[in-house]
Amino acid sequence: MQFSNLNLDYFSILPEIITAVAGVLLMLIDAFAKKGGRKIGPIFSIVSLVATGVAIVALWPRANSTSFAGMIVNDHLRLYFALVVVVCSIIATLMASQFLDDEALPPGEFYALMMFATTGMLMMASAGDLVMVFLGLETSSIATYVMAGYRRTDLRANESSLKYFLLGSFSAAFLLYGMALTYGATGTTNIEAIRQVLMAGKVIYPQMLLVGGAMMLVGFGFKIATAPFHLWTPDVYEGAPTLVTAILATGPKVAVFASFLRVFAEGFGAPNAPDVGGQLHDNWIQALAIMAAIGMTFGNIVALAQRNMKRMLAYSSIAHGGYTLIGFLTTEYAPVGFYMLTYALMSLGAFAIVQMLARQGDAKTEISDYAGIGFEVPNLSFALALFMLGMAGIPPTAGFMGKFYVFKSAWASSPNLRWLVIIAIVNSIISVYYYLYPIVVMFFRPQAEGFIKPRLTAMAQVALDITIIGTLYFGLFPNSALRILQQKAPAAQQIAIQK
Amino acid sequence: MVPLSWYLALSAALFTIGVAGVLVQRNVISIFMCIELMLNSVNLTLIAFSRFLNQSTGQLFVFIVMAVAAAEAAVGLAIIISVFRNRETLSVDEESLLKL
Repeated sequence: MQFSNLNLDYFSILPEIITAVAGVLLMLIDAFAKKGGRKIGPIFSIVSLVATGVAIVALWPRANSTSFAGMIVNDHLRLYFALVVVVCSIIATLMASQFLDDEALPPGEFYALMMFATTGMLMMASAGDLVMVFLGLETSSIATYVMAGYRRTDLRANESSLKYFLLGSFSAAFLLYGMALTYGATGTTNIEAIRQVLMAGKVIYPQMLLVGGAMMLVGFGFKIATAPFHLWTPDVYEGAPTLVTAILATGPKVAVFASFLRVFAEGFGAPNAPDVGGQLHDNWIQALAIMAAIGMTFGNIVALAQRNMKRMLAYSSIAHGGYTLIGFLTTEYAPVGFYMLTYALMSLGAFAIVQMLARQGDAKTEISDYAGIGFEVPNLSFALALFMLGMAGIPPTAGFMGKFYVFKSAWASSPNLRWLVIIAIVNSIISVYYYLYPIVVMFFRPQAEGFIKPRLTAMAQVALDITIIGTLYFGLFPNSALRILQQKAPAAQQIAIQK
Repeated sequence: MVPLSWYLALSAALFTIGVAGVLVQRNVISIFMCIELMLNSVNLTLIAFSRFLNQSTGQLFVFIVMAVAAAEAAVGLAIIISVFRNRETLSVDEESLLKL
């Protein structure tokens, strides 16, 4: 291949470059600066993340292009998901100062790890090749393994980190084997080229492609924590420091969904392909439908029995993964993208409050610890009530709009998905019970002894405000996000056919 | 020449041994070694395909997998050390503070 064919367009990976360089600089600052110099860590991270967001927006006019020999795809799927990832990272970074202060942990590496994780997530969103998908996934995973165990002396954090690491690499190996078999079966690792091979019916080893697709489904299923591959989720979410749980439940999930869409909805999205291509398409649609149904039902029913806030939110995130998969089954990215945005905002907000109320070492995370605090700390309790109502899908919150849009798209897209929508609606009704429970405890129970009002730093307050405003804004004006998602969808498909 | 299917059978066997090891072993280090075995069996698959398709893509993929596996090993061993410092054991049966 000639160098001119490589198309080394560095501007197209500017977001990834900014976060990676910022991560390295943060480590250097931490190593060389005096005590006072370390205070700039959070500010520096926020500035670089905002710069990353600006870089993503600046790439918008150049949408629907590829660079680095097809390794990077710069389409609207990438831009939208990258923007959501950056918003998640900004909110998490704002919350981090409070967490690191409360726990008296060394701040430097945390911000650096956060930037490296963000780099990996952005790479996942922009990947146009299986190699890039794997690289992005591992970059973000390795950084988050460390973050899960950041409270080094805490046994629970240790255990959470170890479990996350072992099961994360185990699932990555499955994903990788799936990629290897897909490469062998089609003779290419480029996702767009794979689709063309499928459409042309030129698959070299048909059986191998089916096995490869199944293994990749397992790998992705693990990473998005959907049933039946969710077993690590509750343990890891409970044991990790609450802030890290917030990060694990949002950013990486959004990014993995972007890659998942790219590989399955685009690469394997060949419904009318001859022979094995069409068979693969039918198979993964069926498998995902079953995964979505199990995920929603299992997540919601087990969440009913939880008395620990973090575990409850972990099971709720499994259920939300199920709802998102319904949007996925329409093979368009708009429902998934919008649902992930609303879920990320509410989830970050809810975890932020859990973290503020938890005290040092996450001591107070049982729901009973929240008894009667409703009017003691009205700013936190009303916000938590808002997020709980949002996750239950009650208007006028973003959660309602997210669910509504996913269900509506799935209902309209295919009659085969209607049974799933009905299961999802029944599940949403069940879920209201456990989302309302913390609200009842907060406002209608006598106050628990020994409650100390949490002290909010300015940055944490800003993070909380962003999530509250976002939850209400996208509930009242969903079109602002949907316009971006919908009008671009046809253009993205056009370019795929052109190539 | 050795046919492609032999390489694939060998790497599938190694991958299966790795999966079985992860499920059966009780020592964290052994589990970790089994995961490395899984990754390396994938490398074998990639190399075999690369050779038989007359392409370099698979070999490049292997380099990236090796780099990632090295980074993962560094982080993984660090996590294992910090667990060992706090607990003085490496058996996963003892890792049971968090229950389903």
